[in-house]
Amino acid sequence: MRHWVRVAFPKTYMDRQRRAGFLFILPAVTYFSLVFIVPLIQSVIGSFHRTVPGGTSQFVGIRLYEKVLTDSTFWTAVRNTIHLLLMSVPTTVVLALVVAIGLHRLVSLRWRNVWAAMYFLPFSASLVAAALIWQWIYDPVYGFLNYGLSLVRIPPQKWLQSLAQVRPSIALVSVWVRLGFDTMIFLAALQSIPGEYYEAADIDGASGWQRLRYLTLPLLNPQIIMVCILELIFNFKIFDQVYATTQGGPASASQTVIMLLYDTAFKYFRMGDASVMAVFVFVTLLTVTLLQWRIFRKPIEY
Amino acid sequence: MRRMTWMALICLAGVLILGGGADTVWGQQKKLVFWTMWDQNPEFNKWYETRGKDFAKKTGYEVEVVTIPYQGYEAKYLASFMGKSGAPDMFMGMTHHWCGQYDFCEKMPADLEKSWDENLPKYMLPIGKWSGARYGMPIEHGNFQQMYINVDLFKKAGLNPDRPPKTLDDWLAAMKKLTILDAKGEPTQVGFAVRSKGHPVGITDKFLPFAHAFGARMLSPNLDKATGFANSPEMVAALQFFGDLVLKHKVASLALGNPEDAFGQKRAAVIFRESWFFGWVKKNAPDVNFKVYALPCGKACPGAGALFPWTNLVYKNSPNKQLAWEFYRFISNAKDDQEQHQLQGILPVWTANLESAYVKARPDYVSTRDMLQQPVPPTYFHPKSNELATAFGEAVVGVLFGKGQPKALLDEAAAKMDRIIKD
Repeated sequence: MRHWVRVAFPKTYMDRQRRAGFLFILPAVTYFSLVFIVPLIQSVIGSFHRTVPGGTSQFVGIRLYEKVLTDSTFWTAVRNTIHLLLMSVPTTVVLALVVAIGLHRLVSLRWRNVWAAMYFLPFSASLVAAALIWQWIYDPVYGFLNYGLSLVRIPPQKWLQSLAQVRPSIALVSVWVRLGFDTMIFLAALQSIPGEYYEAADIDGASGWQRLRYLTLPLLNPQIIMVCILELIFNFKIFDQVYATTQGGPASASQTVIMLLYDTAFKYFRMGDASVMAVFVFVTLLTVTLLQWRIFRKPIEY
Repeated sequence: MRRMTWMALICLAGVLILGGGADTVWGQQKKLVFWTMWDQNPEFNKWYETRGKDFAKKTGYEVEVVTIPYQGYEAKYLASFMGKSGAPDMFMGMTHHWCGQYDFCEKMPADLEKSWDENLPKYMLPIGKWSGARYGMPIEHGNFQQMYINVDLFKKAGLNPDRPPKTLDDWLAAMKKLTILDAKGEPTQVGFAVRSKGHPVGITDKFLPFAHAFGARMLSPNLDKATGFANSPEMVAALQFFGDLVLKHKVASLALGNPEDAFGQKRAAVIFRESWFFGWVKKNAPDVNFKVYALPCGKACPGAGALFPWTNLVYKNSPNKQLAWEFYRFISNAKDDQEQHQLQGILPVWTANLESAYVKARPDYVSTRDMLQQPVPPTYFHPKSNELATAFGEAVVGVLFGKGQPKALLDEAAAKMDRIIKD
């Protein structure tokens, strides 16, 4: 308490410094609290209440958890989400790493920037716009993809309208959108690795593979972990692409957790059930992120 | 310097406050805000603004129409109703949702209720009512599916477009004749444009005429039970028939995308849609030569029923709700009803207009009359109709995509629907 009084009414130079520091972080803390912490707390509280929008709210204990966690539709959505995630996260990370290494090797700075910008462009597009473009590309009748396949005499595919192809098709959109962002992170990290390490490796007669395996990848460990966590979060929360293209179809084959959460909250107006799903997503992501962080992260010092 | 900065900030704040005040006092016309999600009917929506100008001469209040995209409109409505300050004065929606499941609507004044009850076709009387009280003005007569046929494709297939199939058996035979398969057995032109994409609620809506033609119903008459109805032998037979259109007979295809587009592009010869589709085809596919007929019958006739009974409502917490009713009163007459619907090519609602020259000249005049002569099918105006129709639609779409057999999927759906009703 005394500490806060001194921040509010500084007497010494150090108090003024503390106040300045506090004021600097205040906008960020306010924003973060209003946008993330308050809704999170509301979701947790909401998950124990049966709420009628615009009406009453009744405490029901863990009944909604029992209901949601025993609902087959919910677990189908979880399975679909994990399936999508398993397809897109490793693909995006590996591809981004390959592209970043390729760009890093380009001698011409101008061409490196041109290529980097091209890879980054999809990331700057709106997710809904990107999804709609891909919807057209995937169209079974007029789509560019089937037209391309017809040129090499491959029969047309149903893509987003096929139970088997819908998830890989959506995963490809995610990879396309996220590849540029991950590439930029890896490229920046590669550029910060001191050249002396590679010179030393050359003197020791290391092959290209050995340089990659024993130098580059270990030194990129923090970035790889960070990108994996970001991709995990992004893909677990996948919504825009699904909403704009398939709305969870066909036959719920692309129904994801967030899509189901959205429908539950805003189509069926079951705020409590939707809050349970939100808490589930939060706890799952937090747990997986912490595990990833603890198990795979290694301290790196150049 | 510091003093100057403070002065500048105070001046700026003053300008903003005065500017804001000026906006409300002098700058803007007083208005009633109307929300609609009928984005496929822009002329119909715009009419409210046009008529609002006349209303303004009387009251000083114009009408502003805000069109909310249909996809996800519930979320936007709900957020605004709960937030109150950003909510509309009037809105288009389903009475059993916004006035039944929630308490967001104002009851209609008695005089207006009397006027509407006296001027609606009988089958529409329950539309806009909840627990016996009228909240909404029905806006769409002919809000039931009818059979649109492509005359040229019928002729090409050797069928007589003036003698449409009247029974489901004849209809299936015609669909087979209208379907053209490629060398690999995949349809390049189909008889029937089936709805397989999008939210399961819409898929349920498009399947229900088949269910009703087989004598099935989705829920019990009191809307309190699904088991025994949603999975009845009649419903299983209906879903088997519906699934076979795609999987066995291949007279409908899941690869043709949006059914309206397929019909407009002449890739499908027949589609089941409501009266607004007449205006849509005229505008988007003017080269399609079409006729409209009553839906074919099976064991029973599908009848004139709707899963989406759209109405115009007044928001309960609107500070302008009396004026909102005044505006509705202003447009509640046969002349306005005809004018607004004619603009968009939709059937008017008032009984006085059902025999007007405009309605008689429409291609669906006879078919609408025929549909209305069929027995009224079951209605499902349940507060949780979205969720119930989703659970049911998942079974329908599951069959279309070969995920399972009708009986097993309908049993699962019925059990889920019962849980939803009880919850």
